[in-house]
Amino acid sequence: MHSLGCRLRRMNELSRAQIRDLMAQVLKNQDKELPADDAAQLREIGFRSLDFSELALRVEDETGEELNFDAPGLRRIATVGDVLDFLVELQHQ
Amino acid sequence: MSEPADTQLVPPSSVVLVSGGSRGLGLAIVTDLLDAGVRVAAFARTITPELEKLAAEHPDRLHVGSVDVTDLRAAQSFVREVEQRLGPIDGIVNNAAMGQDSLHAHTAAGDIARIIETNLTAPLQLTRLVIRRMLAKGLRGRIVNITSICGQRGFPGLVAYSATKGGMDAATRSLARELGGRMLVNSVAPGFFASEMSAVLGPTQLDQIVRRTPTGHLTEPVEVTPVVRMLLREHTNINGQVIVVDGAAAI
Repeated sequence: MHSLGCRLRRMNELSRAQIRDLMAQVLKNQDKELPADDAAQLREIGFRSLDFSELALRVEDETGEELNFDAPGLRRIATVGDVLDFLVELQHQ
Repeated sequence: MSEPADTQLVPPSSVVLVSGGSRGLGLAIVTDLLDAGVRVAAFARTITPELEKLAAEHPDRLHVGSVDVTDLRAAQSFVREVEQRLGPIDGIVNNAAMGQDSLHAHTAAGDIARIIETNLTAPLQLTRLVIRRMLAKGLRGRIVNITSICGQRGFPGLVAYSATKGGMDAATRSLARELGGRMLVNSVAPGFFASEMSAVLGPTQLDQIVRRTPTGHLTEPVEVTPVVRMLLREHTNINGQVIVVDGAAAI
């Protein structure tokens, strides 16, 4: 039973690519484009902390798991890759 | 993540959730918003005949429910119902509150906890619930917290109540910062009403307040509703403020 539970939870988890798609949607709603390069700076593409909240809530919607996190973790986030890494990581906690 | 300013404007709210909307100021706010053409979702522990009558008059624009604001689960399902019936919520009026009429030394510990739960914890949780939905949909909106002059001035018999109202005023300021212009967040702090919750002050104290009020009368709900409506509907740059409506009694 336990291993089945783990498997089910992993199935609900979003991949980096899926999170990238959601991130592109958040930006598209504001007529902005998500660059293909993971090293792109959030500052330059206009992805703000509330956009990060919006993205995290969209990931929650897909997985059905609440993602709560403290603000200091967000300060390290500067690039598109940082956002994706953070959310992939957060789903494991 | 450093923040360039978000310069897009916050549109007027079109679907507004009002807690404690069955009587007093809450009922007056619901009535006023309906008159202004807004879709309104009102809940309260008990639905009064007055609120039922409004619901019958505006079946397409008013959704009512019997929900205790401290019951987060019930509030959650009410919000889902509202969104199905009226569309996504883009405005919230945190109005539900319980009063107090007891000296701090003689207020039961459990009563203090209940006042804080109803007047501070519950509106913070309801606000969290609604802003999560708004952020997830990329919506902009308005939040109005109904507080009280007690949040800024001292009155005997209202210690825990004052703490919660001052707490909500403080939360208003931090929330306005945190929401970075996507939502306008303000408090409206009425002075004492002639009715309802100000039964907590004795007639002598109320007389004294009237004597000290330049406008010569206690605040009426209809004097507060236009301010709430303005914060929800008008294009202003008012954000993170506490607007006192008390005829200058506290000045």
